[in-house]
Amino acid sequence: MVVYRCDISLESIFTAVYLAYEEKRVHEETMLCLTDEPIFFSEDIKVIPDVQKARKVINTLNRRFGQENYLSLCMALASEDEDAAQAVYRTIVQGLAGDISRGHLFDNLADDYVHRVFALARGVSTEIGHQKQFLRFQELENGVLYSKIGPKYDVMVFLMPHFADRLPIENFMIFDEKRNLFGIHPAGRPWYLLHGEEVELPLQMSEEELRYQELFRHFCHTITIEERMNEKLQKNMLPLRFRKYMVEFTS
Amino acid sequence: MRRGGTVDGGAGKVEYLIAGAGMSLTEKLEVLTDAAKYDVACTSSGVERKGNGRSIGNCVAAGICHSFSGDGRCISLLKILLTNECIYDCKYCRNRCSNDIPRATFTPEEVCTLTMEFYRRNYIEGLFLSSGIIKNPTFTMELICRTIWLLRNRYHFNGYVHVKGIPGAAPEVIEQTGFLVDRMSVNLELPTAEGLRVLAPNKHRKNILTPMRQIQNGIQSNRNDLVLYRNAPRFVAGGQSTQMIIGATPESDYHIINVAEGLYQKFGLKRVFYSAFVNVTGDKNLPALPGGPPLLREHRLYQADWLLRFYGFRAEELLDEKRPFFNVMLDPKEDWAVRHLEQFPVEINRAPMEMLLRVPGVGVKSAQRIVAARRSANLSFGDLKKIGVVLKRAIYFITCNGRMMYPVKLDEDYIVRHLTDKKERIQFGSDGMSYRQISLFDDENFMRPVSAAEHLQAAVGVI
Repeated sequence: MVVYRCDISLESIFTAVYLAYEEKRVHEETMLCLTDEPIFFSEDIKVIPDVQKARKVINTLNRRFGQENYLSLCMALASEDEDAAQAVYRTIVQGLAGDISRGHLFDNLADDYVHRVFALARGVSTEIGHQKQFLRFQELENGVLYSKIGPKYDVMVFLMPHFADRLPIENFMIFDEKRNLFGIHPAGRPWYLLHGEEVELPLQMSEEELRYQELFRHFCHTITIEERMNEKLQKNMLPLRFRKYMVEFTS
Repeated sequence: MRRGGTVDGGAGKVEYLIAGAGMSLTEKLEVLTDAAKYDVACTSSGVERKGNGRSIGNCVAAGICHSFSGDGRCISLLKILLTNECIYDCKYCRNRCSNDIPRATFTPEEVCTLTMEFYRRNYIEGLFLSSGIIKNPTFTMELICRTIWLLRNRYHFNGYVHVKGIPGAAPEVIEQTGFLVDRMSVNLELPTAEGLRVLAPNKHRKNILTPMRQIQNGIQSNRNDLVLYRNAPRFVAGGQSTQMIIGATPESDYHIINVAEGLYQKFGLKRVFYSAFVNVTGDKNLPALPGGPPLLREHRLYQADWLLRFYGFRAEELLDEKRPFFNVMLDPKEDWAVRHLEQFPVEINRAPMEMLLRVPGVGVKSAQRIVAARRSANLSFGDLKKIGVVLKRAIYFITCNGRMMYPVKLDEDYIVRHLTDKKERIQFGSDGMSYRQISLFDDENFMRPVSAAEHLQAAVGVI
């Protein structure tokens, strides 16, 4: 058994995939492992991330499986799950081995690895959807839009393109408080990520901000039809964990 | 409290009276949201449009719900009326002219500012603008049109806009508006012309269907233009929708889904919405609903609506003259399946897509996944679970490799009993229709251990 030890980054995992092919490993006897947990009778290889190699793997994946399936693989990795790397590796192997056309990487759901990646990617995709729905911006004194989120998975890279496309002429930043990660979009320019910076919180909100929060709270309250009250349905659709970040549920 | 207002947009200015000009924006928003909340045709779906880098906004085809109100319905668009003044006197409507309620009117600038400020904070996906009728339908439609023109051209809003087509408005105004918005809807209000005559004396079936037909034709000819000129302006890109009020008039479910089917086929509608009637005016011509609005009925109609649009069912398969109402205990698909047991069980590894779609517990997604997955493997019940099939409903109707999961009798009574057993559906009893299936084992004492005396009694008769 050969075990490639990698970290959670895309470079590291795709480099490991590249190495497994380059060194002509028997895939059934090869593992990608994200932890340092010892495995008996195995040969450990520490993976050193290599951007060139990772890039080659990414190009191959895009060419063979199409962009949508490639993004699903990335989403599965964003779940930060321990099995994610191994499942993605074996899904890639079975995809490259078989004659699979673009967009059909996840057809064979009866396969355990394929199903695992599929399920992980679906979970992350749902979380991305939720954040697009429930994320709220607040206007700061200097006109910058600021939002704090606490997502289950590391979804920032999937959120930024959506909001950058939507609000191209705004300065905005999204702060993932669980991972201490900033997504920053300066007006009219490309967005970027910022890791582990300290910021001076609390930030000062603009005067208008409170007024619009109040207006929206009124709106949400008024739009409810008393005769149809259904808190259970509301909780199903809008889980409680999001509410502490949403202006209409805080005051 | 009235003063003159003007709208500047497109060509020239239009002057009109503003009610409640002394009101604060908060009060106005409250009055005009309250007046708009019973309109349910308000999704944000159907258009995929990328941002253009210069203005605010884009559109996502699936639509995005940004919040959920206390009744569990989604808040996707800023749903407001331009004004709740109305010259009509529809008996079911809160804004009828004979109703004594606070009246208010937004200025177009207020609508635009609210939309922009809410949108950039990610509160909403766009604007839903409807209006009471002031002066006449054409004038009202013009006001809506100019407001949207302002929003698009002065405020550079590129997000989703949905407006109401006002029945009776001049075709030119409707056409002009169509080029500015993503979706337009004309409300059918009541399923039949008869109901309309009784409850909405100022509205006529013909007036409602005319703009609907016009929008349909507009979309069709725009599609042809787009083939020729890729950058031609788009006309109502998200299609049109409508809503019907359920339970205000005595139509049957059969009648209603037939009307819906007709609208989908003949008018090319994207969606038909059903709105359980809420008696807000207390008019003597309207039914009193002591059990609350008919929510279960609305739910069943939506289920049937999905069957019509995505599952290849026809209205007359689901109901007929003799059974004009949906089953309370079973959903329309289960109901159809237990009445057509001769077509079951369905073999998962072989059955065509159309038949898979008719199995209760199998949705469109899972049917597609089954068809994709069975190319590379023989599917078992475990695989179906992974794929997302709801086995607790499906097991009575399917086989995998010729076998059923459990020994099941293909018998109507048997399956109905199992499907409805301990069903969570009882929660839909808010309209007073909840009841339990009669069963042999209804005796509460059935599970009690048998006492020694009873054993004796059973063996030797009365002691």
